[in-house]
Amino acid sequence: MFESLKSSFTRFKKDLKSNFTEVPLDSNIPPQPTPMEEPLVENISLTKKASSLAQGKVIFESKTLSGPLHDLELALLSSDVELSVAETIIDSVQQDLVGTQRKITKGIDVVVEDTLKKALLSVLDESTFNFESFLSDHSSPLVIIFVGVNGVGKTTTLAKLSHTLDSMGHSTVLANGDTYRAGANEQLHVHSEALGKKLITHQQGGDPTAVLYDAVEYAKAHNIDVVLCDTAGRLHTNKDLMSQLEKINRVVSPDLTIFVDEAIAGQDAVNRARDFNEMAPIDGIILTKVDADTSGGAAISIAHALKKPILFLGSGQDYSDLEPFNSVSFVDNLLN
Amino acid sequence: MVLGDLGTSLRTSLDKLRGKSRISEEELSEVIKDIQRALLGADVEVELVMSLSDSIRKRASNQEPPPGASASDHVLKIVYEELVNLIGGSSNIPLHPQKILLVGLQGSGKTTTAAKLSRWFSTKGLSSSIIQTDTFRPGAYDQTKQMAEKAEVTFYGDSSSNDPLEILQSGMKSVQNTDVCIIDTAGRHALEDDLILELKKIDNIAKPDLSFLIIDAALGQGAKDQAKLFHEAIGIDGVIITKFDGTAKGGGALTAVNETNTSIAFIGSGETIHDFERFEPNGFISRLLGMGDLKQLTERLERAMQEFADEEEDWDPMSLLKGPFTLLDMRRQMRAMNKMGPLDQIIDLMPSFGKGPLNNLPNDAIDLTKDRLVIYEIIMDSMTSSELKNPRTIGASRIERIARGSGVGEDEVRELLSQHRNMEKGIKQMQGLGQGDIKRAMKRMQKGGGMGNIDLFK
Repeated sequence: MFESLKSSFTRFKKDLKSNFTEVPLDSNIPPQPTPMEEPLVENISLTKKASSLAQGKVIFESKTLSGPLHDLELALLSSDVELSVAETIIDSVQQDLVGTQRKITKGIDVVVEDTLKKALLSVLDESTFNFESFLSDHSSPLVIIFVGVNGVGKTTTLAKLSHTLDSMGHSTVLANGDTYRAGANEQLHVHSEALGKKLITHQQGGDPTAVLYDAVEYAKAHNIDVVLCDTAGRLHTNKDLMSQLEKINRVVSPDLTIFVDEAIAGQDAVNRARDFNEMAPIDGIILTKVDADTSGGAAISIAHALKKPILFLGSGQDYSDLEPFNSVSFVDNLLN
Repeated sequence: MVLGDLGTSLRTSLDKLRGKSRISEEELSEVIKDIQRALLGADVEVELVMSLSDSIRKRASNQEPPPGASASDHVLKIVYEELVNLIGGSSNIPLHPQKILLVGLQGSGKTTTAAKLSRWFSTKGLSSSIIQTDTFRPGAYDQTKQMAEKAEVTFYGDSSSNDPLEILQSGMKSVQNTDVCIIDTAGRHALEDDLILELKKIDNIAKPDLSFLIIDAALGQGAKDQAKLFHEAIGIDGVIITKFDGTAKGGGALTAVNETNTSIAFIGSGETIHDFERFEPNGFISRLLGMGDLKQLTERLERAMQEFADEEEDWDPMSLLKGPFTLLDMRRQMRAMNKMGPLDQIIDLMPSFGKGPLNNLPNDAIDLTKDRLVIYEIIMDSMTSSELKNPRTIGASRIERIARGSGVGEDEVRELLSQHRNMEKGIKQMQGLGQGDIKRAMKRMQKGGGMGNIDLFK
């Protein structure tokens, strides 16, 4: 999981380390005259380098950095980090490293790692989501709506979350707001039977808002803790379906709107996350098909676009394949 | 569309080179960086982007431009050829009885594609059927059954069985009277060894004539490994891109094409069963470079005309070229337009519009146009038949009556009338041209699709 992202950071650290150690040893190179247009910070003489080294400090120059930074950017892109997000990370790393003197008492590794960590955490939302406290903070029934484009795994994720809540001791009712797709009722019906949960459905072609409304009423009448509302997959460019989503959001006024997307999504993940957020403000993200993915950049892109926490990762075909996500340990894992 | 902004950014960066007979190393690097960014932003796999841009760089600096050609045309030609190389040729879909296997990741759109593809074959006069072998995903059986009904094709599935191989075997017996048999499979990703093994067994039993890999237009860099492993397992003959009506650029599909050494066979771009098209590389490249896709436009026009003619038997499209252009003619034209599909898709196919101001219309504007057509219809419903035939007789008091009758503002009625006058003017000009002139004009536009007419970009 996220191996490619991880290896791109490892390589960057290695690149910098080797780049750095070569500089002071290679003292045969005459001090290079600095071209006029280069900023002042570039003008670091060998003597200054040597003296910083003697003081136990490192100076990174943008010249030595540009190669590894370019490689890092390509590596991020090839891990599906969106172009503008990758640039944000690179800028942050560059600003943090270039021209500054750093104590190397902790070693270059640590300096670079801190910088990367800072850059990544500034892109990811640091807040972690605690379901238990969220539940106790809200009056019951808690209404959760799942939204996303077609085929990302909303229904499967909903079933998994029902299972997770069940193991936490919370009752759930499932509601099928996908009145469009053929087979949607049947699909959720199978899940509800397997999970032993009540399922609220209407006929295909009905008004999804009405289904979800009924489900909330049912939960109120039967003292159920959480209502899990599925919606039809829709492409963010489909204006009519997006207005329908806006209506659902207005009428049902959910406590938690979860944007479901697949970890294998590429550059477009950011576009759709933003468009969905406009129609139905998103509170949290669940990424699916993490088991099919070896890169993981979509996690960073989407979290950055929405500035909202990733709640869970879906990683397989079983109900229990839903892992809580923690951005700090995610970043730690990437950098170690 | 595939690769999205590549055309625009290519034209912008090549514009910088305009008028130069030689391109410096730096200028070339700039252009190549632009190309790289556009390709990466479209999800084309990084290594593929690098090898593509390397060969563009090499050829551009080593090959001398042919005499008379400007440096920018030379670079454009190289880019064009490299892209054609990447995208591959036109895939051959024979119209005879055959078996087709659909494979791909979970949620990539295999089942919807099965319905669309079977429908496509049946519109070509081949009876078709779908066998659903997905026993894993709940609802797969029902979904396919309902979609097959919509597509009016034969369906075979067994909701009580959980053995895909058994379903396949009895399914193939059951549907052997249909010409084209489409075999849908459960979604799987290439790292699931047991599922890939199952797929190999399905492949062995089905012995399909063609195996298509279904790729979501939004799939990212993972496309490479997935395509590679699927190809190794069963051998892929072509790629179908789905969910292409979003904003995703489909670079993942191109990566898959490159990895499997095949081409894009079809594109799925909408919720209805008809939103499905063959992929033609030449038309695609013309569209990419802003020259439109006349072949597809003509196909759509013919299809729409046919459907339209079926409904309104007494109308001859050529009558447009004779006699006065009435509001009735305008209404017919609007209806025929609607049959061709969403306006934005049509505009995309039109030459010169691709790079013109129409291409920059925000989506809202295009939706507005669609709404507008509906309002026009309503307004016309409030007119008398003599008004429809003689729009000139509509004065202020009639406008007031029509506005009240149709529940719109008077301004909107006036707008409709002025729209009609504009169209009338256009039609009159066309009537002024002889038949030969129109044909010549069409030919000129069609030529734009090839490289013979590179000055079209200028």
